[in-house]
This record gives sequence, structure tokens and C-alpha cells, in this order.
Amino acid sequence: MSGRTRGIKDVLWALALAGLVAGAFRLWFGLGATTNLTDAVPWGLWKILNMVAGVAISTSGFTVGFLVYVLKMERFKPLMKPAILVAFLGYGCSCLALLFDIGLPHRFWHPFVMWNEHSFLFEVFWCVILYFTVTSIELAPLVFDKLKAEKVSRFLHRIAFGAVIVGISLSSLHHSSLGSLFLVTPQRLHPLWYTPLLPLLFIISAMGAGMMFLVLLKILYARWYDPVSIFGPRDERRRLVLILTGKGKEAEEMGPARGRDLPMVVGLASIATGILGVYLLLQIFNLFYHGAWQALDVASWETWLFAFELFIAAVLPLALVWSPRTRYSPRALGIAAFSASAGLALNRLDVGIFGYFHDAAQIYFPSLAEWALSVGVVAAAGLAFFFFVENFPVFDDDWFERRRISRMVEASFDSLSRVWRTALKSGLERASLIGVVVVPLAWILMYPPYGEPDPPEVRPAAGMNVTRTQLRIDGNQAGVQTEFPHEDHKERLGGEESCVTCHHMALPEDETTPCFRCHTHLVDSTMIFDHEEHEAFVAEEEGFGGPYPENHTCAVCHTQGVTKTAETAKSCMDCHQEDTDWDQEVEEDPTVDLARAVSYMEAMHENCMGCHQDEAVKQDRPELRDCSTCHSSLTPRDHPVRALADQQVRGGSTSMAGGG
Amino acid sequence: MSAAILVDVTKCTGCERCVDACVEENGLDPVQAQKDRATTEDGLSDNRLLSILQVEDGRFARMSCMHCVEPSCVSACLVGGITKTPEGPVVYDPDKCIGCRYCMLACPFHVPRYEWDETVPFMKKCAMCFQRLNDGLEPACVEACPNDALHFGERDDLLRKAHDLIASNRGSYVDRVWGEHEFGGTSVLYISDVDLASLGWPAPDTEAIPSLTEPLIEKTPFIGLSVAGGLLGLNWIIQRRRRLGAEAVAAQDEGAGGATGPAASEAVPEGEDEGEEAKLAERSSP
Repeated sequence: MSGRTRGIKDVLWALALAGLVAGAFRLWFGLGATTNLTDAVPWGLWKILNMVAGVAISTSGFTVGFLVYVLKMERFKPLMKPAILVAFLGYGCSCLALLFDIGLPHRFWHPFVMWNEHSFLFEVFWCVILYFTVTSIELAPLVFDKLKAEKVSRFLHRIAFGAVIVGISLSSLHHSSLGSLFLVTPQRLHPLWYTPLLPLLFIISAMGAGMMFLVLLKILYARWYDPVSIFGPRDERRRLVLILTGKGKEAEEMGPARGRDLPMVVGLASIATGILGVYLLLQIFNLFYHGAWQALDVASWETWLFAFELFIAAVLPLALVWSPRTRYSPRALGIAAFSASAGLALNRLDVGIFGYFHDAAQIYFPSLAEWALSVGVVAAAGLAFFFFVENFPVFDDDWFERRRISRMVEASFDSLSRVWRTALKSGLERASLIGVVVVPLAWILMYPPYGEPDPPEVRPAAGMNVTRTQLRIDGNQAGVQTEFPHEDHKERLGGEESCVTCHHMALPEDETTPCFRCHTHLVDSTMIFDHEEHEAFVAEEEGFGGPYPENHTCAVCHTQGVTKTAETAKSCMDCHQEDTDWDQEVEEDPTVDLARAVSYMEAMHENCMGCHQDEAVKQDRPELRDCSTCHSSLTPRDHPVRALADQQVRGGSTSMAGGG
Repeated sequence: MSAAILVDVTKCTGCERCVDACVEENGLDPVQAQKDRATTEDGLSDNRLLSILQVEDGRFARMSCMHCVEPSCVSACLVGGITKTPEGPVVYDPDKCIGCRYCMLACPFHVPRYEWDETVPFMKKCAMCFQRLNDGLEPACVEACPNDALHFGERDDLLRKAHDLIASNRGSYVDRVWGEHEFGGTSVLYISDVDLASLGWPAPDTEAIPSLTEPLIEKTPFIGLSVAGGLLGLNWIIQRRRRLGAEAVAAQDEGAGGATGPAASEAVPEGEDEGEEAKLAERSSP
């Protein structure tokens, strides 16, 4: 019996362990390094999928409680314990994921003592925490029954009804409030999803889809542990094939293949799809009520997503459950339940993520670590689910008896398989084996520092023509550029003699080393002194035959007996003055660190602005001082607009000012 | 008193001296600020709380926190970590923040920034130099502006000044003070000769965002209590029906002289639903 779920559990272990690695990276390296969240998309997968959708899918705890305890629909009583388990695990794993999502997890308790009762998030926090407590109380009898703590158990059973009432009240609040969270973004959320009815839509869809999720779990449980209860004794697959191939009559002759629990499950699915039907009508009503139909546009992907979401969330489940042909088919029921659950998740992703893309003007796709943690937390909940159903009577009370028999049968198999089984018998052993494979793999794939982008490089001032009479200075390559009449400046300043005015330092045996050669970073200063190369060069010049013999090379620049630092070393210009052919001596400012090149931008500004400011006074042309002289985009209104190429580049209405 | 800043877009040349002053005043890294200027969409980052945006060719506008009169972020923050001070600025308390980033989602101007690169991150935004205000100084950006494009003062005074400027320079301004009514009013006001929709300004009559949520959330306790009350009431009705129904069945059984004993009185068959119970209850009424 455990063989059916062993493969699934192995996968869940692998996913959960990968999630663990992702969680560790998140805590160690921070949100920016591990997620693809940005200032434009502050809420991502963890909050929307795990929290908003995860809580919404776990509604069966209160809906089935309502049916059984308040409406006294006793026939759904067998689903009560599974429903509570779903609620407990759903809320538990949502809270866990949220702990990783918030920037300061160690302050998760702040909302307990710091209140803002105007915030829907505050309400959601309190309701979720209180409801999680309620589900724990509701689930506790299961554990205490097994522990044979009868007094506790009796007490818990006595307060069960009260717990259900409190649970439903809390649920009615926070499931709608999860929708209200998005009411604060009327300008940002896409009109197809933004509506004042969000709270109502959220709670109704959560109620319907939550029950459908329970249906799905019941069917899966039956498949794995108790097939007769749902699938019945007959060959259901053959029946479905007959129906799908158009041989409906033969299928009817086979008669309905019903397990003993199937009518109950269909009953719940009928109620659930009834609620989803109301949800569908409400969505359609909302299109007109809020005027969102104006946003329906065949050309926008949002419209198709919206339609697809409604189709899988409501239309398909309704059709499958209410069509007489598929109503009692467990397979179709399973598809309907899966579709409704996926539809709910998609709706929450739409409202919380996809609906903001048009506003953020960028696409958010979760990083690998985000996926890993998101899925890993759910996988952990899945493992907990298996633990509960295999060790406590959740779905059916005679589970232990059946497992005892099946173990006896298993034990009677040949010794070879027993060896295999004992080797990998304990779940923990298997899990640690999986861990040995998965953890290093996840580590390698998700290690955050690998993903860091390279710093922007400075591009040389490109010649606009072969003779370099006109240069285009575009250090940041962002299209914000400055055109520099190189030849014009050279002539005006006195021909070849004037090169040194701007080319203040040159590489040995060079006269006009271009700016970008040293000023390599757009906004950051960089180290340009190559110590190793200097050593080698000095050794060769002085005939030492190698860089280090008896520290002779050091003595060329560093004073002996003093700590060797850049400050105590010989001035650069002591050697480099001879190296250049400059007639004019470069003034040496002791405060300037020649080994460090200032940023490209600073270099350009300092190089140009000194002369420009002097000339502005000398020639009485104040406009020479203006930013607009070089940066056409900074043209003040009173100055003649210079028609420059970069106007074409910056077509947009709002863009960064200035140049590079 | 309620302090505010008036931005005269016609006077701004985009020199960004206000940005430099802001970076210095807030102790931010100027090199990183320059990097962020080149790499972010709107020049705002956790290290650059103020930015100059080009609205049109040759038209620039200061972009930062608008210090709304009814701020959405203040209403959204679940721990009350952001407050609208009586002095005007909207200020953030890093000691309360848990890092949920709801303020970033709630802000209609996309202003709050997050320290994504930090392991212990906080939200960052302009606080209108709240400390300087307390010391009787103007905000650093206003002080740094060489072109008289930024004015600091009481919000009411600045509004009057703005309308005066528009009236006395008829034709050279659009007849609108951005920030007077939008989202319930802001404490950063704009006058301009070009439209400022690209800064994120909506129609003038756009209501304050808290007015969309706060009336709703005030009803929360009543909704919760009335749901609980309704449930108890419903439960009572159904319990009573069941009891009456069971008594009727017992009475019938006795009348027929059939099976006796306590088992018969509990004979409410499983799978009973409300409709059938109602019928039973009706039968029992005479």
C-alpha cells in the first residue's frame, strides 16, 4: 500500500529539501539576492501563491464545518476531519512561507502589540493567526484520541462546536479581507480584476474552490489507500473510455460504478460548483457593474487570461459535475476538482501579480529560489498530510486495521524484496538519501552570488567619423549622450600643443590615451595602478634580472625602513614626467591620488567644466556654463534649442534627465 | 500647521542639486546614488530618495514622496509604522516595520523603496527632512534649489501662492495645482505649463485611497459578530426542528404500537437534509 505513495513522497522530500536550501539562502543573502522582486513588483510568488491562494484553498475547514455542525448535514461528517487537516496544513504552510517573505522575519510578532486597525493586512494577520489556532484546537482531538488522553480529548470535543462557530466567523472576515487587500490599488491593478466587489468575489470563490480541493484530496486518498470507497468495484476506466468514444449506451449498460463514498463526494462537489456558479454570475455581473467590460480587448493578453481563469475556475467544474454523463465519474470529478483549485490559484495570481504587469511596465518571473521555496513549503505540507493520514484516522476509521493486514501481506513476500525494503524502509533514511542528491544540486543551482549582474562598463567615446573630428561621449550606453566637437576644440585651443590640456596623463610612449582607458567605471572610481607590472618593469629597467632579488625593486619606489604604502612611495610623476613628451609640466596636487582614476562621469565633468566656466567669464558668454551646452536634454527654455541626435533617442515622455 | 512643498515646473532646469543635497542630508552613498540614477526607471531607489524626471523636452519635475494628506501607506501599514505627522511630513518608523512591503503596493505614486540588497532590510522614502523641520530649517532640497523652483511653507499659504502665480501669469501655466485635490490632496504641490500625468497624477477628483477601505474595515467587528450570531440562530432553529421532528416520529411509532425503546426516538436517518427536516417539522405542528 505504501508503494503507491512512495514515489510521490520521494518527490515531495526532494522538493521540500530544495525549498529548505532556498529558505536558507533567503535568510542568509536577503530578499534581493534570492528573489526577482523589485520596487515595481514588491509582492511576488510567496505572498500571492502561498499566502493569498494557499489560505483561500484551505476554506473547507470552515465550509464543511458549516454544513456539518450548523446545517446538520450529517452525511458530510466523514469529511470533517480531512477538512480540518487541510485547513491546518494550508494555514500552517502559508504562515511558514510568509515568514520567509517578510523582510524582517524576527519581527513577525509585531502586529500582536503594534496595532493599526485601519489596515486590512492587520485584520488578515489577526484572523489568520486566530483561525490557525482554532484549526489546531479542532485537529487536536485526533492526536489526543490516539494518545488516549481522554480528559483532554473530552474537553476538546465539548468545545468543538464553539470552535467551529468562531472559525466560521473568523473565516468570513479574513477570506473577504484578502480581497480587500487589493482595494488600495485602484490605479495600479488592471481594471478586469480591480473591483469594489473584490472581497465578495474572493470569499465566494474560496468557498467553492476550497470544497473542490477537498474533493480532489478525497479522490486522491481513495486512489492511494482506499480505491473501493470511491472508484467502486467496477472498471471505471473502461466506462469512461466508452463514454468518450461515443458508446454511451454500452457504458450505461455497465451501470454506474460507484464506491460507497461517491454520492457524498458528488454531493459536496454539487454544493461547491453551485457556489462557483454564483461566483461566475457575480464575475459577469461585475464586468458591467464596474464597467470592466470596457477593458475587454481581444488584443490584450489580460482578456484571454481572465477568460481562461473563469473557464477553469468555474465553467469547466460546473460542466463536469452537472453533466449527467460525467457526474458520477470519479475521474471527471477529479479533473473538475483540480480545475477549480487551479482556477482559484490562477485568480489569486492574476489579482496579485499578473494584474500589475501593465502598471509596473515590467514582467516579474519568480527566481528559481522563489519557486523552490514556494513549492517546497507546499511539499512539506504534503508530507505532513501523508503523515497524518497514515498515522491518524483522518479519512476513515478502519485505516489501521487495513494497514495491519496489508503489512502482514507485504511481510510474506520473498526475502529478496525484504532486503531491498529494509535497506530503504525507514522514510527518514530514504529522505536523507534524497537529501544527499538534492541539497547539493539545489545549492549549486540557486547559490545567489552567481546571479549578480556585472557592473556597467564604460564605452569609449566613439568617433562619429573616421578622422575623429566629432566624438560621441556615451559612457553609460543608455542613449543619453553628448556630442563633442573634438577637432573644433583642438583647433581653438592651439593645435597639437593643446592635447595635454585635456589628455592630462598618458600611458608610457603614448600622447593621447583616451579617457576611458583609465576612467573605466561610469560612476565609481577605479584603481589604475598595476603594481605587478610596475615591479616587472622596474626590474627590467634596472637590470635586476627579476622582480624580487633582495628587495631591490621595492627600493626604487619605496623608502626603506618605512611601512610600504602608496602614501610613502615615490610620486608617480617622478618617473612619468619623463615618460611623456609633454613640454608642460603636469601640476601635481598632493591631495589627488594618481593611482585612483575618478569615475568616467566625474572625469568628463571636471575636464570640461573648468575651462567652460573660465571661458564663460572671459568671453562673456554665460551659456557656456549651462548644462545644456553639452547635454542637449537639459536645455533651459530660454536658450536656443540645439537639434541633436539624442532627441530621437529620448522619445518617451518621462525619462531620466541629464547625460552621461 | 502643515508643511508642504510647491514645485514650479517652469523654473526647474533639471540640475539635480536637490538630489545631491538629499543624498547628503540623508547620509546616502553618492556613488551608489549615481549608479541608481542610471539603472532605475524613475531614478528612485533605496539610496536615492529624490529624483528629477523629465516630463517633456526641457521640462523637469521633482519626484519623491508626495506626503499625501490622507496617505494610503499610513492606512495600509499593519503595524502603524508610517504616520502622517501633524507637521505635514509622512514619516516611517523603522523600529516597527516587519518588512511586509504593503506600503509599496498601496502607494499610488510608487514611491516607497526597499533595501533589497540588505539581509536586514528597511523601507526608504523621503521624510521631508522631518528632523530639519523640527530644527526650524527648510528641507534640504528646497534649500539647495538654485532656480527658485521649490517653495516651502504652510500648505494653505502655498496653495494661495500657487493660485496667485497662475492668475498673475495668465497663459503661462496650466490652470491646475496638482496635489490640491488628487487622492484627497498631497503636501507636495505642482504648478506647470505642461501636463503632469506622466508623474502618476490622476484626475483631480480622484478620491483618497483610505476612503476606499476604511469605511469597509470599520464594519469588520459587526460583520464578524453578526455572522457568529446568525450561525447560532440558524443552529438553534435547526436543532429545534430536528427535536420536533424526532418527537413526531416517536409519537407516530407509539401510536402505531410498533417498535419501542429509546432507539426509536433517535431515529433520524442519516443523510437527512434541511428540506426533509422542514417537512417533518410541519407534520409535527398540529
